[in-house]
Amino acid sequence: MADTHTAPGLVSLSIDGRIVEVAPGSWVWDACEKAGIYVPVYCAHKKMDPVAVCRMCLVEVGGVPKLQPACATQVAPGMEIRTATEKVRKFREGNLEFLLVNHPLDCPVCDRGGECDLQDFTLRYGPGRARAEIGEKVHFDKAVKLSDKIILDQERCILCWRCVRYYEEITGEREIVLQQRGVHTLVDTFEGRQLESEFQGNLPEICPVGALTHQQYRFQARPWDLRRTASVCPKCSYGCNIFVDAREDQVARFASNDNPDVDDSWLCDRGRYSFPELNRSDRVLNPEARLAGARQAVSYPDAVARGAGALLRVRADHGARAIGFLAPPQVTNEEAFLLQWLAREVVGTPHLDHRLSALTDLSPEQFALGIAEIEQCSAVVVLGTEPELADPVLTLRLFKAQSKLHREVVRLSSEADPEQLAGQLEGHSLVGIVAHQDQRAVAMRLSARLATRGTLNKVLTVVEGMNARGCQDLGLTPALLPGYRVVPIAGQDGGAILRSAAEGSIKALVVVGQGWESEPAFEEALARVEVLVGITPFAGVLSRHATVLLPGRTIAEKAGTVTNTEGRVQRVRPAVQPRYAFPSDLRILGDLARGMGADLGVQPLAGPVFELIVRAVPGYRGAAGGLRADWNLSA
Amino acid sequence: MTETSGRAPEASTGLSPATRDRIRRSKELYPSARSAVLPALWAVQDELGYLSPEGLAEVASELNLVASEVEAVSTFYSMYFQHQPGRHLIQVCRNVSCGLRGADLLLSHLESSLGVEDGQTTPDGVFTLEGTVECLGSCGGGPMIQVDRYSYENLDFERADQLLDEIRARGSKSGGVARNA
Amino acid sequence: MPEARVLTRHLGKPGLTTIAGYEKVGGYQALRQALRMGPEAIQAEVKASGLRGRGGAGFPTATKWSFLPRGVFPRYLCVNADESEPGCFKDRYLMEEFPHQLLEGVMIAAFALQVSHAFIYIRGEYRAQRELLEKAVAAAYQAGFAGNRILDQDWSCELIVHGGAGAYICGEETALLDSLEGRRGQPRLKPPFPAIKGLYGQPTVVNNVETLSNLPFIISEGGAKYAEIGTESSPGSRLFCVSGHVERPGNYEIAMGTTTFRELLEMAGGVWRGRKLKAFQPGGGSMQILGPQHLDVALDFKAVADAGSALGAGALVIMDETTCLVNVAMRLVDFYEHESCGKCVPCREGTYFERELMHRLEAGLATRAELATLADICANMDGRCFCPLGDTATWFVMSAFKMFPEEFERHCGAGHCPVRAGLEAAA
Repeated sequence: MADTHTAPGLVSLSIDGRIVEVAPGSWVWDACEKAGIYVPVYCAHKKMDPVAVCRMCLVEVGGVPKLQPACATQVAPGMEIRTATEKVRKFREGNLEFLLVNHPLDCPVCDRGGECDLQDFTLRYGPGRARAEIGEKVHFDKAVKLSDKIILDQERCILCWRCVRYYEEITGEREIVLQQRGVHTLVDTFEGRQLESEFQGNLPEICPVGALTHQQYRFQARPWDLRRTASVCPKCSYGCNIFVDAREDQVARFASNDNPDVDDSWLCDRGRYSFPELNRSDRVLNPEARLAGARQAVSYPDAVARGAGALLRVRADHGARAIGFLAPPQVTNEEAFLLQWLAREVVGTPHLDHRLSALTDLSPEQFALGIAEIEQCSAVVVLGTEPELADPVLTLRLFKAQSKLHREVVRLSSEADPEQLAGQLEGHSLVGIVAHQDQRAVAMRLSARLATRGTLNKVLTVVEGMNARGCQDLGLTPALLPGYRVVPIAGQDGGAILRSAAEGSIKALVVVGQGWESEPAFEEALARVEVLVGITPFAGVLSRHATVLLPGRTIAEKAGTVTNTEGRVQRVRPAVQPRYAFPSDLRILGDLARGMGADLGVQPLAGPVFELIVRAVPGYRGAAGGLRADWNLSA
Repeated sequence: MTETSGRAPEASTGLSPATRDRIRRSKELYPSARSAVLPALWAVQDELGYLSPEGLAEVASELNLVASEVEAVSTFYSMYFQHQPGRHLIQVCRNVSCGLRGADLLLSHLESSLGVEDGQTTPDGVFTLEGTVECLGSCGGGPMIQVDRYSYENLDFERADQLLDEIRARGSKSGGVARNA
Repeated sequence: MPEARVLTRHLGKPGLTTIAGYEKVGGYQALRQALRMGPEAIQAEVKASGLRGRGGAGFPTATKWSFLPRGVFPRYLCVNADESEPGCFKDRYLMEEFPHQLLEGVMIAAFALQVSHAFIYIRGEYRAQRELLEKAVAAAYQAGFAGNRILDQDWSCELIVHGGAGAYICGEETALLDSLEGRRGQPRLKPPFPAIKGLYGQPTVVNNVETLSNLPFIISEGGAKYAEIGTESSPGSRLFCVSGHVERPGNYEIAMGTTTFRELLEMAGGVWRGRKLKAFQPGGGSMQILGPQHLDVALDFKAVADAGSALGAGALVIMDETTCLVNVAMRLVDFYEHESCGKCVPCREGTYFERELMHRLEAGLATRAELATLADICANMDGRCFCPLGDTATWFVMSAFKMFPEEFERHCGAGHCPVRAGLEAAA
């Protein structure tokens, strides 16, 4: 063996004659993967402890008479693994025969057809045909409704235990368990109770066969009809990585796209099942403008010219401070940056925001703690329930830290006394403090107290909205310029802008995107202003009141970056094409600026605008590939 | 996610104070409360004759477990009943040693004299007949039956019938470890 | 003289199920002596005795004990009283007749291993025996043999009887631990082994009832004296359960190694009804079949292994010339299918498949191709399952098929059981 040449700290072993080096403690299965040799598995899952129940991954280990499970055998120096022997081949075939003994073989009506490991492995390793008559297969229930989201087919289940272990190891809820014994074993809930977890949607994804399926996706599509695009979940500020699977111009589903630093491969149901919002049919399809009291369809250049002209007129008549800019935190970083530039540099107004209430004393220190870094904290303090309500997948990270890594997780009411708590946490090597943005002050006080006592600590503030963090970083707030530089005299926040508009002191608004449609104050303000330039994909309050209306794009149609609550800059990519050919939101903003006589200096495209961002906020340099922006924080 | 999700609501289950007390004493006995699951389930079954969903939920709540876990455990073991059986359980061992000594014939005989098949309960609810059981550890005395907790070995048809008549007449669970019944 | 008296040396004395009766024959003196000796001396004595586990695998007891990591506490002792091997009824006998001998052995081991708790895991079907044991345990507590400051020494240990609820697999030691922890009794991945991470993740020893019942003798008479009984590779005496087609089925205590199957069969009165021996299982339902040609093999771990089977749990099941081995095989396969825990695919689905084919074969409905399939699926199960249950579910079938191939083949397509038909025709 090549032990003499093994890199320090690594174990060298051979797999089908290929030498690989892996970390000590690795499983043989991982070593096989590293060697580029695929070993089939059903039960093993990279986020869960091995159980070695499916036996699919049995391989030959030199010197051991019995075949050993690759998923649960630790590597050892000089180990010789053989995965392609006759003994292995014969067993794989036999094991698949066993799995098919009681399987209903209903692939034509199974949602997993085409992406089913039982189907795939049977084709690749399985027996050609059945060898014997089975008098009676063991029958179970089919199409058991576990909730309005999940359907269970107990007959298709191959009892890999993944769903049961998921509930045990990943969420801790134990909603699905094994019942009965032997060949009568099945997975089920207590007395058929409905699932209540917020994380059910992960079940069909970890199920290797068609036993657990999405109600929403039932009989909707076949995998070979889907086009897959890597993007970011739009529902909260956590920034879970997803695949958007689209069929023609519709989003068919969101699937997880494991990012160990963020989602760790889990999505919450709120995010996963939010995609139908993107398929709404009430789209704004044409640029429109109010002409002589009535709104009419106009050409795109005409709409942009009218919008720019109207804003210039208001500035001329009432001054720049009579114009406000609003965009909910669903806009991309590039859009947010361009908007604040448009407001401050082109129009010259300080009134701009991405939220409807004030947010003061923001600083990058409030986001020092990374999501994955929670696992390194010896203790984590969570203030209130709000952080997890805002970003549900955070719950799973906290549970992992607690149950798998034995970290102390302290959940406190937000009224807890920081001083007392700081005393209790003394002696910890690193304390994480997780707080909702509204509890920033408490979190920072606790942080300061801990620091005084010499306890190393970091805060993670959970903000509300997909790209709220990006909007803050890039200055789409009345008090801060890009990069948290303080504005000498702050403008009005979103709430104040709406009030001013309703009172009449703000005469014109530029609003980009959806988000406040159900806020009464929003509609009140929009109905009142003289000029409302709206960019939105869907019909609603904004489209109804806009004096100049431009068709916007949904997040599934945009290219750009967004920043999650821990400051990680991640790409969103267009997964579906809008049904019309009008420019992107970003270009619309650029064209409006040009209409007002300003030159951005670069093309209004995501790439070039990101370069502008990097110039204004150097910490963003190089981060667009999924790294946390560098704020030069020392812990 | 909440700690209590999946846990049964606190409900009155009709378990007697004595049974609850037995469950709590079991809990005290072990270094980990979870070890008391099997004894607690026995306590519930001793009182109710089987494990009702409410009984499972009660055990879960006494032992700070999720009800689904308790159900998962209870259904694994063949001696916990998921439905109410007859007052007396007759188990006929048909494993290798008893099988060699005529256990199949004994089962057929009991089926015809009780008028029920393997796994069924007599219409009067007195006997449940089980012919699919583990080896009952009376291999030296086959053929044998176990009625409730007591073994009756070296049975012939006549003695078996007599025995069931006696039990039916007694009407209560009693007896001893009877060898060479 | 093959008969030996260690476990049954007090047989026939009155009142052995009470402490008073047991003390009258010297009971609990060995425990007192053990407490004086100290843990290391006890372990040395057990090592000298050569005692090997009586649960089935025959692993040397002192070696098993030595795997406990030093200085890690708490640690636990679990007594495996989940006797469920078909043909095996010796632990039951020991618990019914000599419960205090067992408890004394348990407490000696508990002290030797310095455990905080000793658990006796008794199968659910042994409800009456469980209650007998519970009474004996209560008496032992009262007499100061268990609980706080045992016999006024600076040592405390709880003794708990834990009832199972019907699951053969709980006789597998890691499944037993999961069951004792209040879970589904399914075997655990190894490593870690129970000695390192067992009950509640702590170092744990699991010993069989019969194994521990030997300890009072070993301590009071000395390990060397125990080793004198039997042979070097199979020291001591052992209870053998003899059942099936014999005149006097029952438990027989004999010296290991020196006694042959023929002698044991003679002790049990020979094959019943004057019939001839067709085959026998030397170690309970799980073990491979042996034939009349093996009668002169000694009851020795190695000798039986060389003959192609194993002593297992020490249960001799005798089958006379009228026996249909396909029928016996079907019965055992039914049992394994019923008792498969369902954890791994080859056992869960394999036993079901095997059972389907065995039933077809027994009824004379299987084709020769299906018989070949049966042999092939057995090969796909044996050595591939998570734990030995699935492996052993194939051993009787395969060994019987190998020894009596024509009997299996004659069933194919016969439409009925040819063995039974032959007997009926002869009658």
